[in-house]
Amino acid sequence: MFASLVSISLGAILVNNFIFSQFLGLCPFLGVSNKMSTATGMSVAVIFVMTMASAICWIINEYLLIPLGLEFMQTVAYILVIAVLVQFVEMFLKKAIPSLYSAMGIFLPLITTNCAVLGVVLLNTQNYYNFLESVVYGFTGGLGFTLAIVLFSSVRERLEFADYPKAFEGFAICLVAAALFALAFMGFSGMKIL
Amino acid sequence: MSKLRDFLKPGVTLLAVAVVAALVLGLVNMLTAGRIEAIALETTTEAMQAVLPADSYTDLEVEDDGEINSVHAAAGGGWVVEVTESGSQGTITMMVGVDETYTCTGISITDSSETAGLGAVASQASEKGEAFRAQFVGVSGTVSVSKEGGEIDALSGATITSRAVCKGVTAALEYCANLG
Amino acid sequence: MNAKQQLKEGVITNNPVLVQQIGLCATMAISTSLFNGIGMGLSVLIILTCCNVVISLIRKIIPEQVRLAIFVVVIAGFVTIVDLLLQAFVPALSESLGVFIPLIVVNCIIIGRAEAFSSKQSVAASFRDGVFQGLGYTLVLVCMCLIRELLGSGTIGGGLFNGASSFLTLDGTGAGFRIFPETYAAGAMILPVGGFLTLGVLMALLQYILRKSGEKKARKEKEGEE
Repeated sequence: MFASLVSISLGAILVNNFIFSQFLGLCPFLGVSNKMSTATGMSVAVIFVMTMASAICWIINEYLLIPLGLEFMQTVAYILVIAVLVQFVEMFLKKAIPSLYSAMGIFLPLITTNCAVLGVVLLNTQNYYNFLESVVYGFTGGLGFTLAIVLFSSVRERLEFADYPKAFEGFAICLVAAALFALAFMGFSGMKIL
Repeated sequence: MSKLRDFLKPGVTLLAVAVVAALVLGLVNMLTAGRIEAIALETTTEAMQAVLPADSYTDLEVEDDGEINSVHAAAGGGWVVEVTESGSQGTITMMVGVDETYTCTGISITDSSETAGLGAVASQASEKGEAFRAQFVGVSGTVSVSKEGGEIDALSGATITSRAVCKGVTAALEYCANLG
Repeated sequence: MNAKQQLKEGVITNNPVLVQQIGLCATMAISTSLFNGIGMGLSVLIILTCCNVVISLIRKIIPEQVRLAIFVVVIAGFVTIVDLLLQAFVPALSESLGVFIPLIVVNCIIIGRAEAFSSKQSVAASFRDGVFQGLGYTLVLVCMCLIRELLGSGTIGGGLFNGASSFLTLDGTGAGFRIFPETYAAGAMILPVGGFLTLGVLMALLQYILRKSGEKKARKEKEGEE
C-alpha cells in the first residue's frame, strides 16, 4: 500500500511529470512562468484545486455515476466540479489574500481550462485508483507541476538576456528550452520503486 | 423582485442547457453503448484466441489478489488469464495463455498507456512488438528480463514496461499452477 | 467578414496553435503518427464547428453571468458525443488518443472561439469560423506528425497506410511507408522532447514568414507612396 503510494508520487513528480512528459497544463505553464512570484502563486492554486478535484470527483464517480450507470457523463460532471472549485478558490483568495488575487489576475479562471486538472481526474478514473491513491496522485501531480513551473521560471529570466534569432521570440524559444527540460526529465524514466 | 429575476434567469437558462445536454448524451449513449460493449467483447475474444485458441472458454471465479482480473478455462485444456500490472505510465493489461504444463502459450497486451515509441512497442502490431511478445511463448516458472538473468530481452529504452510484462506473465503462470 | 478572409485567418495569420498559441498540450502529446494527427484534428474540427453553431444559435438567450458555464456544458456535451462515437466506430483511434479526447473539453481553442467569436457573430459566420479554425489546427497537427514521425521512426503515414500495399487502414495497425531504416531514426523525436522542439521550430518558422511578408508589404506600400 505504502509502496504503491510512493510509486505514484514519484511517478507524478518526476518520471511522468505532467508538463515534461505528459504534456498536460502547458498553457498556464507558458503563460505564468515568466515571473517566479506569479509562478509560485499559480502553483499553490493548482495544487489545491487538483487535490480537491481528485477527491470530489472520485466520490462523485464512485457513489453517483457508477451506481446510476452514468459513466458516460464523467467528462461533463468532472469539468463542472472543477469549474465550481475554481470559483470557490477565487472567492476565497479575493477575501483572504487580495494581494495574491491581484497578482494572479486573469490566470485564476484559466485553471478551469488547465488540462492538467481535468487530466489528473480522468487519469485517476482510467487507472482505477482508489480514493487515497487518487488524492495522492492529485496532490503530487500538482507538486510536479510546481516543480516544473518554478524551475522553468528561473530559466526564462535568463532567456531575457539570451541572444537568439529574432524569429524565435516569445513562446518559440520557451518551447525549445522546455524541450531541453523534457530531455533532462527523461533521465528519471528508469526510476521505479518495485 | 427584479433582483430575484436577475438571479433566476441565469440559473434557469443554465439548468435548461444542462438538461438538454444530458438528454442528448443519454440518447447518444443508448445508441452507442451496445456497439462499444460488442467491440470490447470482440477484442477480448480475439486476444484470447490469439494466445490460446479454443472453441469456447469458461469463466472461472477469481480470488481477488490485485493482479489477476479474470481467468478463463479453455475448452481444450489450459487457461487464459487476464492480468493488470503497473507499467511506466499507467497500468498494462494483458492476456496470458497458459497450457496444462503451466507453460506460457502466448501473450497479448489489450490495454496500456506506455510511452509512444518505447514502451508502447510492446503492444503494437509492428515487427518489433511481435518479436517481443513471441519471446514469452514456451516460458515457465519465474519470468524475468535478461538483465536480471532471465530469458526475455527487454525492449530498448523500455525496461520498466518489459519488467511489468514479465511480472504479469509470472503471476498468471503461478496462479494457474495453484489452480491445478 | 467574408469567407476568404476567415480562411486565411484560421489557417495562417491567426492560426490557433502557431499564432494564438493555444491548445498546445494535445498538439504535442498526440502528434506521433499521422493516424493520430488526422483523427485528433478532425475530432476538434467537428466539435469546434458544432459548438460554434450551437453557441451562436443560443447567443441571444445566454445570460452574461453564467456564459462560461454554459459554454463548458455545451462543449463537454459535444466532446462526450464524439468520444462515444469514436469508441463505437473507430475504436483504434479512441484507444490511441486515450485521455486526450475527453481533454478536448479544456482545449482553449474551443472555449476561446466561443468567447471571442461565436457568442457575438451570426450562425453562418460561426460555422465557417469553426471549420477554418479547425482546419488550421488540423494542418499544424499534420505538419507536426509528418516531421516527428519521419525523423523519429523513419516512416510516413504510420497507422493510416499499410506500407506494403499502400492500403488505407482504419484500425491503426498500418506500418506506414518506410523512408529510411529505423536504425537511423532519432527516436527522441517521438518522445516528449521532440514535441516541444518541433512545435518551437514551427512557431519560429511562421513568425519568420509572417514578418518577412509584413516587411515586403510595408516596402511595397512605401514604394507606392513615392
